[in-house]
Formats: sequence, structure tokens, C-alpha cells
Amino acid sequence: MSEWEPKIVSFLCNWCSYGAADLAGVSRMQYAPNIRVVRIPCTGRMSPKFALAALREGADAVWVSG
Amino acid sequence: MVTFKINGQKVQGEEGQYIKQVAEKYGIDIPTLCHHKALEPAGMCRICTVELFDGRRSRFVTACNYPIWDGMEVKTDSEPVHKGRKLIVELLMARCPDVPILQTLAKQYGIETPRFKAEDDTCILCGLCVRMCEKMGNSAIALTGRGIEMKVDTPFHTQTEMCIACGACASVCPTGHITLEKIRNEITAKSGVQLIGSEYDMGLKGRKPVYVPYAQAVPNIPAIDRDVCVHFKTGGCKVCVEFCGVNAIDHTMEDEVVELEVGSIILAPGFQPFDPSKFDAYNYSNHPNVITSMEMERLLSASGPTGGHLVRLSDHKEPKKIAWFQCVGSRDMNRCDNSYCSSVCCMYAIKEAVIAKEHAGDDLECAIFYMDMRTHGKDFERFYNNAQDKGVRFVRSRVHTIDPVKDSDALSVRYVDDGGNLLQEQFDMIVLSVGLETSPEVVAMAKQLGIELTAGNFCKTDTFEPVATSRPGIFVCGAFQGPKDIPQSVVDSSAAASAAGEILAAGRNTRTRQPEVVPEVNVVGERPRVGVFVCRCGINIAGVVDVPSVAEYAATLPYVEFATDNLYSCAQDTQDNMSQIIKQKKLNRVVVAACTPKTHEPLFQETLINAGLNKYLFEMANIRNHDSWVHKSNPELATRKAKDLVRMAVTKVALAQPLEETELQVNPTAMVIGGGISGMTAARSLAQQGYETHIVERSERLGGQGHNLYKTISGDRVAEKMGALIADVQSHPKIQVHLKTELSAVEGFVGNFKSTLSSNGNQQELEHGVAVIATGGSALQTEEYNYGQDPRIMTSLELDKRMMADDPALAQAGSAVFIQCVGSREPQRPYCSRVCCTHSIDNALELKRRNPDMHVYVLYRDVRTYGEREYIYKEAREKGVIFIRYDLEKKPQVALADGKVQITVTDHVLGVPVQIDADLLTLATAVIPNRQEALAQFFKVPINDDGFFVEKHAKLGPSEFATDGVFLCGLAHYPKPIDEAIVQGRAAASRAVTLLARETVHTSGQIAQIDQLMCSSCGVCISICPYSAPSFIAADARMHAGKAQVNPVLCKGCGLCVASCRSGAIHLKGFDNNQIFAQISAANWE
Repeated sequence: MSEWEPKIVSFLCNWCSYGAADLAGVSRMQYAPNIRVVRIPCTGRMSPKFALAALREGADAVWVSG
Repeated sequence: MVTFKINGQKVQGEEGQYIKQVAEKYGIDIPTLCHHKALEPAGMCRICTVELFDGRRSRFVTACNYPIWDGMEVKTDSEPVHKGRKLIVELLMARCPDVPILQTLAKQYGIETPRFKAEDDTCILCGLCVRMCEKMGNSAIALTGRGIEMKVDTPFHTQTEMCIACGACASVCPTGHITLEKIRNEITAKSGVQLIGSEYDMGLKGRKPVYVPYAQAVPNIPAIDRDVCVHFKTGGCKVCVEFCGVNAIDHTMEDEVVELEVGSIILAPGFQPFDPSKFDAYNYSNHPNVITSMEMERLLSASGPTGGHLVRLSDHKEPKKIAWFQCVGSRDMNRCDNSYCSSVCCMYAIKEAVIAKEHAGDDLECAIFYMDMRTHGKDFERFYNNAQDKGVRFVRSRVHTIDPVKDSDALSVRYVDDGGNLLQEQFDMIVLSVGLETSPEVVAMAKQLGIELTAGNFCKTDTFEPVATSRPGIFVCGAFQGPKDIPQSVVDSSAAASAAGEILAAGRNTRTRQPEVVPEVNVVGERPRVGVFVCRCGINIAGVVDVPSVAEYAATLPYVEFATDNLYSCAQDTQDNMSQIIKQKKLNRVVVAACTPKTHEPLFQETLINAGLNKYLFEMANIRNHDSWVHKSNPELATRKAKDLVRMAVTKVALAQPLEETELQVNPTAMVIGGGISGMTAARSLAQQGYETHIVERSERLGGQGHNLYKTISGDRVAEKMGALIADVQSHPKIQVHLKTELSAVEGFVGNFKSTLSSNGNQQELEHGVAVIATGGSALQTEEYNYGQDPRIMTSLELDKRMMADDPALAQAGSAVFIQCVGSREPQRPYCSRVCCTHSIDNALELKRRNPDMHVYVLYRDVRTYGEREYIYKEAREKGVIFIRYDLEKKPQVALADGKVQITVTDHVLGVPVQIDADLLTLATAVIPNRQEALAQFFKVPINDDGFFVEKHAKLGPSEFATDGVFLCGLAHYPKPIDEAIVQGRAAASRAVTLLARETVHTSGQIAQIDQLMCSSCGVCISICPYSAPSFIAADARMHAGKAQVNPVLCKGCGLCVASCRSGAIHLKGFDNNQIFAQISAANWE
């Protein structure tokens, strides 16, 4: 199991977390590449269905940030 | 062009290039230790050895310095090459067995232990450092000696001034023989060469001579620091030029003098933090654990030198106990010349203490040593109270000395507490809350501009013109106007903009140009034809992600008609090229895989528009900020992620539809609700800038609370100055005043409001584009302290009235008492009224002026004479006004006995009750808002627990509401003195003009749309929308009566209603369900 890495789909608010992820890049902070970002206009847009869809499509974890 | 073969593959290179350069271009890896792009190759390490076939025979050459010629055949990976390299590595390994890079190479070439005698050197004599030093223009080192005596050394083994400790040698040394550590210990420490400290990180971290000042810098491009760049010292180096892919670096650039003709100047030079090194008793210069609050900010910041991990600097251990010392460089005439209060330090110290506890855990002990706690801003008092609840300790004491504790990194302080006890305490870290001061450069600039300064070196301004300098046309904002925090600076800046706007109004829109409009191609119903442009961003993306393979992959995706890669997608020529490709290939959807849409989406959308495409047929894949920059060490997975992100973007864009942005006219009329000082200021500013303005005032006269005030601290009679303002407003042709009028209904939205004004039963409709809410506040009527039972007991405003009337009883009084915080800073009203300390002290001085023998007492909790208001506090003490502090738990007692007003208060120094018989007792009652619930309903704007309106953003949007087209100023926002009310009036006008001047507003295309056939009229969207965009269609409408609809002008496209709609009736255009689901399923983790 030590080799196992979770696959994460993240839903990031355009105004804060998405910008923060950009800033992490500008600051060259390094993190694991097993994350796929879906940009949403606001976490208000987030629907439970999106989380379920991501899990159904094979994601091990869903991260909503905003 | 030279054509030859590498490993059987036909390759081409330029005349004069070496084998290695061409191989690199074709992605063929040749190992090397001594090669550097910016230096002439020397062939010293021999590891780049390759096999060359010249048509007759094969031989070994070094790839780095062997020039190419037509028809040659090179093998980089043949068995003989491998064998040859193995021997070279084995020999180097024997010389330097402990060098990691050689160990890695040895492993690669299958060497376990070298067959030769092992030595213990770490230098492979590749000479890279020597060549680099020469390139630096120094030649401070050379390869000296011969044969086995050869080594890298300085001439005659002596350290000379030729070496400037630039570190270039260490930066290229492949083996770690030369390290920065060694340079630091052997050279910089001895010769006093300083590391280059990052200004942004307050010197807690180093930076390079080529640097981006900080991550969010605008423009976000590197600068070269001429003072430290080696090229500007020696004329050498220029290594950066070799690495820049677009030849952007020009060392010959000179400072330019640019002449601008302007009609107005706004000064916003800011402040410099006070330098506490001159206070030797605080040991700031000598002890690493005594830091300034600015350094603490960096230590607490996630982007700071420790990544937000709170450590003390001496040993990088987590501190257990931290103290903050307030008023370092403020309110101090003894050790520095800044007698003013810096206004912001109390609040930032509390913030730092709270954040420190959040970072380090509740066990961290935080203590703030202060004189008066000045939390006079909106919601600040609550924050102060919360900090106390969270365990931040507040000690009222000014500490004189910080003593280092022997044999430890701790610091010891001795102080006298509230009760007069001498205490000693140790801390791990002490933060000096440094004040704000004007820098000498700014003082010099002010002198050059011929503008007057105050005693504290801030810009001199008038209470009624707080952003105007002493020179007409030059305005000021921010901390140069006086020490202030962010919200106040933001208010100032808007005000300065409108002040400048007033005198420049005639020139508005006279120098604008209309862009050429390309007609939009209708693509509705067409099969998607997607174009994918993958950006290399120089080496920013291509250095990690395999860009060509991403472009190749993109071409295989459904609907993709065209895919390519660009060196810099944002370059103008690339943009033009993309626009051409879109037209030629008839693309109707575009994906750019590059940096972030946050910064570059508008630019690429512009490209689409220029190609005749709707700008919403576009998607970005963020393969730089979210990929190449953050997965540097994992190129393979980063490339895979890039492909996934491109696939997700392509899948989403294929579902994109052209969206419409409706254009709406803005009615160039403004309505100001409230005719007090701030409302009138806003109206006058709007009118001066050419907009018709209506003031709606419910009372029978203009002026509001201004009528109750006697004078300002600068000595201006309010009645006089306000009289001039009223006259301006009444005589202005563009202002209409509606007295005794209230609002009874408001319809519409930004740019197109329709309000009903009611006056004496008459109703009038007013159409306007913007509204400014300036409904003001009033003084709290209290029953405390026997108010109302004796004519000698009055409120501050009543005292002002008596002063205006020159009441002779004032001068005859033998003693006067002021009680502060009457109704403020109490559980039922937990905010500071901001104006009362200054007001009472000013009145105390006025009483002293009228009768110098009068005994005047001010009973206070904290004196909050912030900024340069502090001067009058000092003056009052000098003139003999006695200040007695009381606690909320032990309020003064007022009794009416024997015809006297007897006040009993416990003296904070003596600790015993003192009785004062007062001829005058003034109660500084709280400022309370005129609670305007109906108005809040009309404009859909919020009111906080205290009854004040809630602005758009506490720091960045203090004079406007989240509802577009509605603005805010004056006491309705928060208690404030006249100058601040005027500044905010101007600021509200300024924010309103940004809308009015546009003449039209465009709705966004990415907004919610309701499918009325699906709508069940449940009303969830209406109740949940923060912007009041959805509403029910009228019950008597012909179509869809009673169903919900979204006003596209008000909708901000957040999608809250979409996610909440139970019927699935709402779609968010541009982020619709099908698009997001498609994106999710495209992230399909193979």
C-alpha cells in the first residue's frame, strides 16, 4: 500500500482557492501531481452531484475549496 | 546549415556549433560535468566523449567542443562510448570517491569500486569555476600547479580583493568542492560582504540580483538590481542573457526621464516603518529574538521565509512565549521625535498575536504591553474582545529595557504593572510594534513640490479638504496624509481620485479611442472544431512538461482540428498568428494550454474576438501555475497531468456556446440619501464632475449632525465651514435638494433605478443610475450618570451648543468633568465611537482657554486620540487637564447631593476612590446609526448587529455595497470625525463616477438562466441569491406567471442558485452542468 497515491479531483473557487493554487505555482511550492482541478465560479456553484460524479469516475478523493 | 547524423538520425545545426548543442536541440542526452551554456566549452571532464565516424574510421571526441561538419556520423550511446565513459568515471571516482554526482554516474555505468587507488579529493579539476570566474570579469582563481600538484587556487594562495564573493564559482561547481557555505565562512564573514536581503521578507531571506520583488508583483517580471549585479561591478558575467529565450535582457538600458503633462497630481508615497535600532535598550540590533512587527508579519505569512511556521530566529525553535511592545517609535518624544500615534499598531499587534496562536496552538502565550489600547476602527473592538477571550494577555505598561538572559536565547523584561508592582518576566521572542513615519525622501519630495507638512512630517491638510495639499491641484492619500490603516487609505485614495476628477471633469473621454470591431461569426449549430495551442512559456512549461507530446496528444482528441505549440502564446506576434490560424482552419472553439486564466483569459479572449469568434468559446488549461511550476521534479507525471488538463479543457470547450453580453445604458443621474456633511460632499463632488444629483433629506435643512458641532481640533468653526458647503450645494446648477422628503419605494438596478420620493403626502418619481447612502447617525440619549436630572449634566453635543452660544456659565465653572465611553464599548454596544476622546479633550482645552483656573478632569478607559490627534492629548496634559482611568467593572458614580454634582471614581494610580464636585459634567455618549431597515430593504444592502450598513469589503470596498450602483459614506458606515466623513463622501462619489463615466454597463455572459418550464416556483433561488438577481415573474404576466427569472444585470454568475435549484431549472451559462460533468469524466485517470 505504500506506493498507493490517492487520485484527487478538486473544485476550486475562481476567486480564492484557484488564485491561491496559482500563487503556489508562482512561489514554486512543490506538491504531488495526482490532483486535477476543476475551476468553478464560486463554491456556491458546487453541487453534491459533482462530488459523486468525480468519485464514480474513479477519483479517490474530492476536495472542495473556496 | 550543416547536416549530419547522430545515432543514425539526420540532424541539422548551424555552422560553428558543437555536437552537444545540436544533440540538445534534438533531445539527445549527452552527460557532462564541465559544460555550461554561457561559457566556451573546454572539454575538461571528458564525460561527453562520443564516437565520431568520419567516413574512413571511428575515433573519440568530446561532444562539447567538437565543431560539427557536413556528413559526419556521431554515436552517443554505442558500446565503445559506454566503455570509454566508464573508464573516465572510474578514474574520477578514484580521485573523488565521496562526490555524490560521481557516485550516481558510477552506478549508471556499473562501477562498484574503482580499480585504482582511492584518494580523498573533491575537485575533479574541470576548471568550470575558473572559466566562470573569468566570465564574471574577475579571474580571481585559476588552475595552479602542474601534474598531481594541480589545483584551483588564488594567485600565490592569497585572498585578494579581486574576489567579490559573488558565488558564481560555487553555483557551477559540479562536485560541491566549492560551496556557498565555504565562501561565507572564509570570505564574506571576514571581509564584511553582506548577503542580499529580500526587501519583501524584511531581510529574513536572501534574494538574487535578478529577482521578482514578490510573488504578486505587478508587472510580474524580473528586475536586475544594478547595485549588486556582478555585470555592473566588473563588466563581465551577462550569463542571464544566454538563458533568456526572448532576448529581453539589455544591460545597457539607462534610466529615462519621462515628461508628462498632467492637470493634477496625487501623492501616495506611503510610509516607512520606524527603525528601532536606535533604541539600544531594546537590543533590536544585537539580539535575533527581538524583531519588528514587520518581520513578524513575514514569519506568520505562508509565503514568508519559514512558510508560516512560527519560529524564533536564534535557534529556529518554536517559541512558547511572545511579547509585543506597543508604541515603538510612536507617542514618544523621549527617544525619538514621533509624538503622534501611528493609529494601526494596536490592531496589527492583536492580529499578529491571534494569528500566532492559530499557527502555534493555544499553548503559545502572547502578551501585549501597551499604553492605551486603540481599537477604534469598525469591528476592531470586537476583535480586541475576542483576542482577550482567546487568551491574549494585555498588560498596561511601557517597558523600558529588554535584557538578554545569560546562557540562553530568552529575553528578560522588567515592568511595573497596573497595580504599581515591579515584575520580571522572560519571553522567547519580543516583537516591537513599530510605528509609521514619513521617509526623508518623501519629505524632500514635499519640499520640492512646495507643499506644507505637519509637525509629524505628514502632509498638511484642512479638515474640510482632507485630501487637498497646500498647493492647488496636488492631492494626497494614504499614510502620507496621516498614519492610517488600509480601509482609511482606500477611502482616501478614492477621495483623492474624485478631487482630481473634479478639476479634470472637462477633459473626461477626450483622449479615448474606439477599437475596431470585427464582426462575429455565427457558429451555432456547427460541429465543434477545436484548436489547441500549447504554450512553452519559454522554459517555464517546456522545461518540465514535454510540450510537443502534449500538442501531439491534443491533436488526437475528439473535435480537435488543429494543435500546435507556441514559444510564448501571449506574445503579440503569436496572438496575430493564432488569430490567422483560427480564421484559416475555421476553428470555432479554442483551448490555450498555458498559464492561468486569472491573468491571461482576457488576453486570449481578445484574440478570439479579433478572429471573429465569440469570446466564450474559449477555455484555458493551466499547465504552468498548476503543473510545470509545482511538479518540477516529476516531468513524466507533469506531462501526463498536462495531457489530462488539456483533455478536460477540450471536452468542456466542445460544449461551450456563444454567450451574449447585454449592453445597458447608465442613467447619468445620482441620488444621495442624506444631506449631512458626507452626503453633501458626495453630491457636490458628483455635480462638479458633471452629473445631475439629487439630495434627499428627511429633515427641513441640510447639514445633519454638523449643526451640533462647535469646532474642529484645528480650530475651524463648523458652522462657518459647513455654511460654505451648504451654499455650494444649494447654488449648484446640477444639484437638486429635496428637503422633508423620504424614500418610499425603489425599483430597478444598477444604472436604472426608479425611486419614489414622498414629501408631505406628495409622491414624486426619480430615475437615477446610482444611489449614495449617507443617512448618518446621532448621539445616544442616555439615562446613565443621572443625565436629565440636573442642568449641569449634559452630553458632548449639548456642551458644544453652549459653547456656540457663549454660555457665560462655562467660563464661571470651577470644575468640569468628562466621562468617556458612555454607551460605547459595552456589551450592548461593543464598538468604539471613535470621535469622543478627541472631542472631549478638545472641549476640555476649550474650557481651559475660557477659564485657565478651571479644574478639568477626563474620566476615560483608553484615550484614543489616534494619528496626530495625539498632540491635543499631550497639550491637555501639559495644560493641567487631569486624566483618570476607570474600568468597565468600576464605572464612576454620579450623585446629586447638597446641590452638588458629586462624582466618585477610583484613581488608577492611587487605587483609592476620589470625589470630584463638578460644575459641569459632560457625558461622551456613543454615536449610534440612524437604523434604516426600510432603505436596506429597498436597495438589498445589509446592516450589521450595531445598526451600521455593511460595506462591500471591510478593507478594499469601504465606500460601496456589494449591490452594484449603491454607495456608502459617513456615519451610516461607522462613527467618524468630520474630515473622515468628508473623505468618504468624496470616495463614494468617486466610486459612483467609475460607473457613471462608463455610460453603459455590460452584463457578463456567464450568468444564470432559468428554464421557466422546469421551474416549480419554490423561491429558493430568490431567497439564496446574495445579489437579489432572481425574482418571480408577476402573477398577471402573460407568460410564465409566478415562475422565477434572473435579472442578467444583477447576476454575478456565482452559481449558488444553480446548485440550490431543486428542479434543475437553472443553468449557469459557461459553467453549465453538462460542461462540469464532462470535465469531471475527462479527468479519467488512466
